[in-house]
This record gives sequence, structure tokens and C-alpha cells, in this order.
Amino acid sequence: MQGVVGADWVFTSAEDLEPYRDPYSLRWGDADEYLASGAVAPDSAEQVAAIVKIANKYKIPLYPISTGKNFTYGGAAPTFTGSVVVDLKRMNRILKVDDKRNFALVEPGVAYFDLYRHIQEHQLKVWIDCPDPGWGSLIGNALDHGVGYTSTAFRDHFGSHCGMEVVTPTGEIMRTGMGALPGADSWQDYRYGVGPFVDGLFGQGNFGIVTKMGFWLFPQPEGWLTGTISVPNYADFEALVEEVNYLEDSQLMTGQTNYSSPLNTPGADLAALMANGWPGDAAIEAYAKQRGGPAWRARLQFYGPEKSVRANWEYALERIRRRIPGATASNEEYLAVPLTPEQERTHHQVNFGIPNMQIYNSIARRESDGPDGTPDGHVDFFFVVPRTAAAVHRAQQAVYEARKATGFPTQITPFGGPLFWHQRTFIVGGPTVPNYRDNPDKNRKSRELFEAYIKYAAAEGFGEYRTNPAMQDLLVGEFSFGDHALLRYQERLKDGVDPNGIIAPGRYGVWPKHLRESLGKGTARAKGAGKGADKGKEKGK
Amino acid sequence: VSNKTIRVAALVAAVGALAPALSRAADAAQLERGKAAFTYWCATCHGAGTFENGRTLAGTTSLGVKYKGTNISPVLEERTDLLPDYVKAVIRNGIKGMPTFRKTEISASDADAIGAYIARNFRN
Repeated sequence: MQGVVGADWVFTSAEDLEPYRDPYSLRWGDADEYLASGAVAPDSAEQVAAIVKIANKYKIPLYPISTGKNFTYGGAAPTFTGSVVVDLKRMNRILKVDDKRNFALVEPGVAYFDLYRHIQEHQLKVWIDCPDPGWGSLIGNALDHGVGYTSTAFRDHFGSHCGMEVVTPTGEIMRTGMGALPGADSWQDYRYGVGPFVDGLFGQGNFGIVTKMGFWLFPQPEGWLTGTISVPNYADFEALVEEVNYLEDSQLMTGQTNYSSPLNTPGADLAALMANGWPGDAAIEAYAKQRGGPAWRARLQFYGPEKSVRANWEYALERIRRRIPGATASNEEYLAVPLTPEQERTHHQVNFGIPNMQIYNSIARRESDGPDGTPDGHVDFFFVVPRTAAAVHRAQQAVYEARKATGFPTQITPFGGPLFWHQRTFIVGGPTVPNYRDNPDKNRKSRELFEAYIKYAAAEGFGEYRTNPAMQDLLVGEFSFGDHALLRYQERLKDGVDPNGIIAPGRYGVWPKHLRESLGKGTARAKGAGKGADKGKEKGK
Repeated sequence: VSNKTIRVAALVAAVGALAPALSRAADAAQLERGKAAFTYWCATCHGAGTFENGRTLAGTTSLGVKYKGTNISPVLEERTDLLPDYVKAVIRNGIKGMPTFRKTEISASDADAIGAYIARNFRN
């Protein structure tokens, strides 16, 4: 491999491989921590193809990373110990940004910060959509089904991609969609090309190494407006969600909605409500009445010309007031785009496609940290929940029960709001699961909690949209319809296109044939095996 | 004493006089490189200032808690107690919530430059 990339770009020493460990691993220092045996850093798709061919010859497992910043979802570490990490950070070229057709074409090493700076320096009239941490790769984040914070069409990063270049597991360079048609200038305009659409295989997959990817960009809007609607009763949440669904699905409001409840603020009365387990509806309503004030809030966001966003906001208010007596509006704010530097500084920057790192404040040291100190990191648990009040309440209760069963402070109440990143689905999160680099016992407890999250959620029909490598087999095993028909289909595809099983073995539960046979119970099918469903049966007894 | 000897002696003296100046120039170049690399890789968490809801950046927040009640600044560029080797060790090994940085991100020479830049105001 040194002959392909040069001696400087092959890493084998313990010192050089240390940053290829996942600092947020729930298995840090344990015998089953996923560790790389080496790393190689190519500079081109041709070099990637050459590496893949060598790996096939010697049956070396490879694990591609883009910028390696996918923390809580594995970072730069592989999903199978002994893999050689293919570190694509050096492939950091911004190949094209078009602010007339509104797209970008980039390599895997391009971070959100890089593309944002490029757009600013060239005064292009497009926005990017970025996740919370701005240092990640557009390609890596999209391939892990990452999400952002601007307008509906762009928040789903895989959903807003258009066209890929992929090095196949046998070392061919392939382009998808219109990129397969020589001479076509529509690679980033029309994503399907003709015939079966294979791009989905590369999201959370191990069917190739993506070396270029196109993304649709948000034409810089003229303005942004936000306003908050509050409703008086706990039971009003159902109607509020339905009305916001209408506004979103009609594309009258394309910004991200933030749901919250003022009833969720800590206090002795809330502690009393939760003291004897998950409360019934009557107790919840009584608590809400006792507290007084609104029960739920929805902060709406609109992008577009001032006249349009003001009209849509007024219509949203009128519509919700018609359905929910006592609904009120507050905190209306309109900003013209581009924002002033002061407006940029004081607002939630990702809502304006401005990458930043403020989310890391969530794992910064806190003065309120107890004697155990601040964890070294955390792992996220976010699962897909239908957009209804009843589903949100069931989801909150599943998290509550999982924490209770594993001896963690429950924290959860019936007043948690869902997150809204994707189009047409809520995400509900469990309190983050801490990890420690000096305390294996605490990591073991964290793994128990995470496994309970997955099982208790699955028992209610909920599943995560992405997960940490330590949990991928378990999660995928819960998607067991038809005796794991989906996974078995993916395994047959894997065996066909990657006969030596060298690309990212085990990623999202898809193991190549020789490792399925040798690992036996380690596979997702055996490991998950519908434990969530069993959990449900136990509850029914 | 031959003319040749004088010329050699003069040359040696000139080089000797030039060496500190060259060294300072090299230092300045390294500090400039270190500042640029710090701005790109580190300042997004370790910079100064307040943002949404009056919050500081994450690294600055964390160090503010760690050094509360001391005269140690939470802003890395203002530190006077850090040596290059410590800075480089943190870059490669991470610390608390701060993850590691690979050589494909921060090269060995950029890590040296960042270390030199942060240590530029070091006082015993």
C-alpha cells in the first residue's frame, strides 16, 4: 500500500493509530473494543481502487472513513477489529459549486466548514445544511443518514444528495445516476439515471467506498421568520401536532419545528407527579392545571420572501387558533438574509446553514457535575416515532421504563417534546448514554442502558435511525420482519458484490459470508432475534 | 594572517550574527503557521467570545469550569503555562470530551506549529 500512497500515508505504529480509536467507545479498553490494525490515506479515487485491489488479493478488511468525526456513531474506528482504516481526509477537494442550478460536488474529506468558507469566499448565493458539529464530512454525514436544521428539502442529508462516484468492493470506479452516462452534464440534477437505483446501498452500508457525491443546496432565501404558538391544555398536543403536520406537509412552513412544554421545568410538584411511576392521564391533567399556563409550545420557522413568510405565519396562527381555543402567539421575529454579524453570533447558527461547534457544550465540564466528574463523551439514542401525540407519549414512556429497569435516574416525564429533523417523522431521544475512558464498570452499565433503550423501544415498534457500532447488530436484529428477510437479502447482495468480504465487515449488521459462519451468534440475526418483541410479550403477561 | 583567513573569519562572524535573525524569522513563520492551524482546527471550540444564549465556545466553557477560581485563562490563546509537548499530546490523545486528531487532519509539522503558537507566551 505504501507503493500506492507513499510511505508517509500508511500508519501502523501504536502512536499513529491511537487517534483511530473511538474516544466515545462504550467498550474503551475492553477486549472487544473495535481497533484498527493500520490506516492508509489515499489522495484520489484511483488510489482507493488500487488499495481495494490489494486488499482483495490479501483478504484484508478495510473500513473507509471520510473526516472521521462521526462521534457517538463510531468516530474513525472500524466495525471489525483488525480492519485497515481507509482515511479519506486527504481527498478534500470542492469540485463544483453552482449557485444557478444550486448544487455542490465534493470529495469525502470536505467538511461543512470547508464548503461554507468556499461559498463565502466566492460570494455564492447558496446555503448549505449542516448538522450540529460543523467539522464533519458532507459525504460521511449523508452516508450515515445525518440530518440538519434548515429547510425541509435539505435537512435529510442523504435525501438531498444527487449522484455518487463509488469504488466498488472489487476495485472498479463506478458513477451512479446520470454520472453513468458519458458526457452527461446532469449528474447533480437528476439522481435516478435509469434502471435500479443503487445509491441507498452506500448509506449505512458496506457495498463500496464513496469518493465523490453531489448535494442539492438551498438557494439563499430572502428572509427567515420564527414565531411560537402556545396551547393551554396537555391534551391539545394531539391537535397541535396534526395542524403542524398539515403546515409542513403542505410546504406552507418548511423550517424545523421545536416542540416543548413549560410543564417540564423541574420542581417539587413535577417530582411528586413522577414519584410513583409513569402517571395516568388524569394525574397529568391535574398537574398541568395546578401549574397553570400553557401546556405545549411549537416554535415554527419559515424561509422565503418577507411577504410570503409573514403571510404563512399569519395563516398558521389563524389555522391553529381555529382548531385549538386559547392558542396564543409570541416571540415573532423576522430577519432579512444575509444576517448581520451580530445576528449570526446570537442566533442558532445551524438554522441559517452556518457550521459551528456549539453542540460540544453539551459534553463540556459543568459546575453541577457530581463527584464522578464529567463523562469523557456520550453516545446518542434517537429513534423514529410517528408524528402523533400518542406515539410521542408511548416513546417517552419506553425510554422511562428502560432507564428504570437498568437503575438509571429516570429523568423522563410526559412533557418531553419530540425532535423534528427529517421530513415526515419525529425523532425521540433518550438521555444520552455516558462513556468513560478510565472506568470499564461504568461503560458496562452504559451498555446495559443502551441495550435496554433498543429493546424497550422495539417492544413498542420504535427503532433508531442510526446507532453506535457496538449496538448495530442488536438494533438491526430487531428489524426482523419475515425472519430477518431484509437482512438476509442484504447479506446475499453483500456476498455477490464483495465476494471476499473486505469492505467494512459488520457495518449495520451486514457481515460477509465467511464471518457469518465463523462468528455464529455474533451476527445481527442471532443477536437481535426479536428481543424487543419478547420484551413486549413480557409486558403483556 | 592571510586574506583568505580574514574572509573566512568574516563569513563565520556574519553567519553567527545572522543565525539569531534567521531563527527569529523561522519562529515568526512557525508562529504564523501555528496561528493559522489553530484558527482552522482549534478556535471553533477554544476561541473567545459569547454566542447564542450568551454561551461561550465548548472548549472555553469546559476550561472555564476546570480553572474556576484560578488565574488561568479558559481561552487557550491567552495561556502562559502551556508547553508545546503538552499541547501536541492533547491533540493526538484528546482529553475529556475533546476527541483526537489524526495526522491526516493535523500534520506533525502543523501540530508542532500549534504547540509553538500556544506556548509563545509561556512564563515559568
